[in-house]
Amino acid sequence: MAERTHTTSKSHAPKDSVLFEKVIPALLIFMGVLMAVLILFAAGVLLGIIHF
Amino acid sequence: MSINQILPFFSTVIMLGFTIYVLQRYVVRRAPHFLFWGIGLAFFGAGSFAEAYLSLGWNRWVFFVWYLFGAALNAAWIGHGTLLLLFRKPWVKVVTAILVVGSLFAAYLMLQAMPKLDESAFTTSKPVSEQYGTKVLEPGQTPPAGAKTETTTYRGQQVTVVRGLLPLGSPVRLTTPFFNIYGLLTLVGGAIWSAYLFWRKRVLPNRVLGNVLIAAGALLIGSASTLTRLGYGQFLYLGELACAILMFAGFRLAARPQPEEVPQVATAAAD
Repeated sequence: MAERTHTTSKSHAPKDSVLFEKVIPALLIFMGVLMAVLILFAAGVLLGIIHF
Repeated sequence: MSINQILPFFSTVIMLGFTIYVLQRYVVRRAPHFLFWGIGLAFFGAGSFAEAYLSLGWNRWVFFVWYLFGAALNAAWIGHGTLLLLFRKPWVKVVTAILVVGSLFAAYLMLQAMPKLDESAFTTSKPVSEQYGTKVLEPGQTPPAGAKTETTTYRGQQVTVVRGLLPLGSPVRLTTPFFNIYGLLTLVGGAIWSAYLFWRKRVLPNRVLGNVLIAAGALLIGSASTLTRLGYGQFLYLGELACAILMFAGFRLAARPQPEEVPQVATAAAD
């Protein structure tokens, strides 16, 4: 017989939390859009469309 | 000494602590994503220190460190750590090889540019991010206040340029957007994706918040760097410090063991 150790997670996001239900999804969308804008900006520089 | 000259030193100290924290995890666990995060964070710290140094005086090799590690490579290496964590596929090894070879090639190009640096264009009165590159002035465009201009021939045309440290058309500058696009996509995209996965399953709220902080920190410095290159450099050092604090806090929060993670002993039949 051999012994093996593992863990089980029971941690869940709190229910009815404004942070998890409203703020986090809004932040994720906002950050995704900002990331896309910055990537497009860098791509514009790379392609010579934006000069600086 | 102004507050803008002091802030990068704080960023450097935080990044040093962050780097040691992550590399210690690599030493214990031997997981490659910790190694790439640690190296990328060390690059970030070196870039912050170089920026702080260059706000006080000139040194060409400090500029080398600032451009290669601070402006070009750090986000890509940190982001590649996230890629290694999220995807355990054979193609990731190919990407790793491309990143390493690409980074060495960028270092080679930077070494090639070193003898051509226009050191007389350097000033401590503005961030190095605002003066590293020589820029062509478009017809009708006025140079920024205090900028040094000259007329030169570029690709067979007479052009007026705002003088910068790196000469016009330096090949090393072409490599930077590749690294930064890759870094943004993997570092920010990886953190947003991880946060979304945990949020969707409503589990491990510490990892949701931790990844949100990491993404926010990386976006903050990405936005501040972009604003600096557009001529609004006053936010850069504060952005760097906020980035260092947010990312370190996010990493520690995401890595924190859950109080409800209960070690259980299971028995398994030996083969």
